Amino acid sequence: MNFLWQNFDKNEISILILMTIAYALFFVLPFKFKREITWLLMLLGFTIGVFFDFTIGGGLIDFFTLNDTNHYELFDFCYYLIFAPFSYFFIYFYDMFNIHKKTFIFYILLWVIVGVSMQWVFTKLGIVEFQNGYKIPFSFAVFLTTQTFTALYFELIRSRFQVLK
Amino acid sequence: MAFTVFFVSAWLIVSIFTIIPKRLTLIENTFIFLTTSVISINWTWIINEELKYVKITEDPANYAGFLFFRSVIIPTLLMVQLNLYSASSSTIKKGLVIAASVICLLLLTISSRVLDISTYKDWNLGFDTVYYVFLHFFSIGVWKIIRKFTHIEVKHS
Repeated sequence: MNFLWQNFDKNEISILILMTIAYALFFVLPFKFKREITWLLMLLGFTIGVFFDFTIGGGLIDFFTLNDTNHYELFDFCYYLIFAPFSYFFIYFYDMFNIHKKTFIFYILLWVIVGVSMQWVFTKLGIVEFQNGYKIPFSFAVFLTTQTFTALYFELIRSRFQVLK
Repeated sequence: MAFTVFFVSAWLIVSIFTIIPKRLTLIENTFIFLTTSVISINWTWIINEELKYVKITEDPANYAGFLFFRSVIIPTLLMVQLNLYSASSSTIKKGLVIAASVICLLLLTISSRVLDISTYKDWNLGFDTVYYVFLHFFSIGVWKIIRKFTHIEVKHS
């Protein structure tokens, strides 16, 4: 059993490139949130990625294979790390564009389209491979749930704490 | 039966968390929930699916019970434990809180075996005990780190 990778090819290189782009953007953008809020948003994205992948992408349901095999590999972990800045950017621009009641639905839908499109790209890059009847439109349900939850959770946090630096 | 037992247990522990006085802030509680979720999910996957020390049921309803245990009960119980732990005035009380929480998890683990959710292969309850104790000290460690390195300001309206 290899915990690093099955074959170091297109999907592993794609993950490295995507991680580099995502984390470069994270450091290029001016930090606007307090340190603990930034950590929280990153951890939230990472955990949501882990939660959904290990719940519907593995075990008994097993709707998709990640990085060549169903086994846990280093690059599976790297894949989840991409979700961390994704969650951060989602809230970063949510706050920057001052999303409110009238724009909330449109903003969520826009990010859901971004999320589902990214997942489609992941399938083309060989990072994700669907199985057991899973189809990409099902991901709309996943992203709608996660993005709405993240935005509502941020609203809750913002109502109780000073989130900006 | 297993689904019902673990669904009710999940409901109970979430309800207990809802009603107890919170000594941790919402941000701290969230950190505890998220970090212990990640550990719990990864640990069960590695032990069950990669190393195959424990076999998990293939019955869908019972498997749902397993998911409730792994992803809801364990992280929520650790939040409850930490809120009670931080409210405890003495070392003995703190120790009792940790012990009670570990015993709860062990009883649920035994239930999962009795109700055919999990079957031990090369594993025993002692390893689970060590893991649960580690998880409790891990959550306390995470909380102390968050307290030390963050300056959470509460809004006053």
